[in-house]
Formats: sequence, structure tokens, C-alpha cells
Amino acid sequence: MRWISKLSFNQKLGALALALGSLAVFANVAPGHTVTVDAREILTGVERQEDHVTPGELAAWIIEGRTDYRLVDIRDEKAFAEYHVPTAENVPLATVADGALGRTERIVLYGDGGIHAAQAWMVLKGRGYTHVYTLREGLDAWKDEVLFPAVPQNPTPEQQARFERSVQVAKFFGGQPRAAAAPGSVPMALPTQVAAPAVAPPTLPAGAGGGPKKKREGC
Amino acid sequence: MSAPFYKLGAFGDEASLVVAFLIGIGFGFFLERAGFGSAKKLVSQFYLTDLAVFKVMFTAIVTAMLGVTYLSWAGFLDLSLVYLVPTYWIAQVVGGLLLGVGFVVGGYCPGTSIAATATGKLDGLLFVLGFAAGTLGFALAFPLVKGLYTAGAIGTKTLPQVLGIPYGILVFGVVLMAVSGFVGASWVEKKMAAKAAPATE
Repeated sequence: MRWISKLSFNQKLGALALALGSLAVFANVAPGHTVTVDAREILTGVERQEDHVTPGELAAWIIEGRTDYRLVDIRDEKAFAEYHVPTAENVPLATVADGALGRTERIVLYGDGGIHAAQAWMVLKGRGYTHVYTLREGLDAWKDEVLFPAVPQNPTPEQQARFERSVQVAKFFGGQPRAAAAPGSVPMALPTQVAAPAVAPPTLPAGAGGGPKKKREGC
Repeated sequence: MSAPFYKLGAFGDEASLVVAFLIGIGFGFFLERAGFGSAKKLVSQFYLTDLAVFKVMFTAIVTAMLGVTYLSWAGFLDLSLVYLVPTYWIAQVVGGLLLGVGFVVGGYCPGTSIAATATGKLDGLLFVLGFAAGTLGFALAFPLVKGLYTAGAIGTKTLPQVLGIPYGILVFGVVLMAVSGFVGASWVEKKMAAKAAPATE
């Protein structure tokens, strides 16, 4: 132990740094592959339907030009290239927890149906992502409810008004109304991606106000 | 209490400016106290006679790295929320070389020139005016150099990702590099001092 007292102060600091550096090899610092969830908290959120947004809500957000959330398509690149909801970015399912998404960002996940997005949602929740949502029933519902809304049979005036509004929204996104006959099966061709919709934005019911603008960071 | 404080909403935009100001004062103070308000001290590292800049900067890096590692390990810091500057490797190599040339010629880097100006050094003030003019020139010429500005974009990358090694191994490697660097730097300083000694007699 006498050799320690022979070291200069700087040498002692160097030795301390080396010791801490060696210990760091065994410290598990990077985010691991396990997920811990608070079961009650998660299930309560699901029960209260706080875990998803509906296709109609998402369509309204896009039309309003809201920028306080990130829309994430978790399908593979090929499917994303074929069609994706306007403003979406592609983060394939296997990579959602790899750091492309920030833990405090508002994130809306969607896949073809609802299941993959819900599974990704669960993983992200377990990693401490605080504002993750799924698009309810995924792209299937987006097509059924937003792109190709069904013409109601013998509609009440209220249903008719709602339908007319949804036709405007469908046109905005490049879709069109369809006959009510076969819900679920979409016979229409998907719209090709366009940078700016040709149709003027439809007016939306009040209530869904835009959130705060996303802040850009710099060094 | 968990960090990063700003990201987790512990304080807002206005308070973050105050925090940045206080950290800036601290940074400037310690730069000056380390002797880095003097161009002579700074450029002597390029003549290998005094490698204090290298030692101080590498000490800061190792201290910060170990601090971040252990704070994160203990659960006080969420590393995934820490902002990472995206890598534009071509732009950064060119920018690094330019900064190096400016450092050798002007005797300061941006931070140390401000510390020097604060202590009343005229060469420091001239350097600050120079880099203000350079910044303005860059902004005006931006359309011309836009391509270079984003050249070599590979997104936000960390060394463990690029090298495919665990975070802890990288930490150990950097500490090892630093400690051998300090030993090597002291050896070089002694050599240069011995070489200079006969000449001054």
C-alpha cells in the first residue's frame, strides 16, 4: 500500500479513472432488451381507451397540419413505399425501440391491422415512452373510414351530414366513397402518394385544436 | 430526480437560458484558470513543449464520460434522451481541419478567444472579431457551400453502434487511451524541455 503514497496527485487521479473505466466494462449502461411494465397502469389506460387515436382523429390532425406528434408506419419498407398515410415516417417494427423515437415525443404507431402496432406500443410503454398511441385498427380502418367511407343505407339527416363531411375528407386524402355492400373489403385502388393534396382542406368540426409546435434542438 | 432535466420538463425554456449562462460562466472561468486565456500557452501544444490543452481537454472528456456512465448506470440519467449531434463526416472533417488551421494561425479556438477577450487581451478580441466576420461570411455564402454543409450525412451515430462493441468496453478503451496519452504527453514534454535546455544556455 505504500506505493500509493508515492504517486503524485495526477497519477492517483489517473489510476482512479482506470479503475472506474475497468468497472464500467461490467456496468450495464445501454438500454437492455427486457421491458418492465406497470400492468395496472397500462391496462387501465387501455380500458379508458387512452391508448389509441381513431382514423377520423388522425385525419383531422393531418388536415390541421399539426406538428406536435410523429406518425410512425411500422410496416416494412416495401409496404411503406406502396402506400402510407400522408406525413408518416417508416420505422419498421423490429427497430421501433432502437432510439429513432424520443421517449417524451407524442408518437402514433400504425401497421396493417391493429395487432403489430399494439405490440410495439406495449414494448415502448415498457421502455418508458410516455406518449405512445396506436391508430385504432391500423391501415385497414384508415381505408374503411377515411379513404373509402361507406355510403349509409337509409341515413338519418345526421348520418347523411356526417357522411358528406367524410367524403370531403376522403377526397382530401385521394380516396372516394364506396357502396355500403362490403365493409372490410376495399375494392378501390389506393391513391398514389402526392406531395400536396389537390383538393382544398375540408372544414373540420371545432374542438380539435393544434398542440404546441415541436421544438428543434441544436448544439 | 432524473436527468436530463430539460427534456424531462424540470425547467422550461427561460430557465434553460439561465442554466446555459451559468454553465458558460463556469466553462470560461476554468478555461482561464487552466491558462487557456493565453495564446502562448495554447499554441505551445503545437510545438510539443506544453501539452496542457491536450491533457485538460482529455481529462474533461474522461471525467464527463465516467460521470455519464455511472449516472446512467445508477438510473439518474436517461441516455436515450441525451441529444446527439448528427454525423456529417465529410463536413466535420473539413470543418475540423479548418478549425485546426485557425487555431495554429490565430492562437485561439472560439471558446478560449472569448475567455482571453474577457481578461482584456487584444489578440483575443481581434480573434473574436475575426470569427464573427467568418460566421457572417459563411451565412452569406451559405447557398454556395450548402452541398458541403451536409456532406457525408450518416445520421446520429454512436461509437458503440459503429464499432459494434458494448458501451462499457468503449468507456474502458477511451480511459486507456487518455491515460496512455497523459503518460506519452509528459514524456514528450520532458524530451522537448531537454532539447530546448542546451539552446538557452
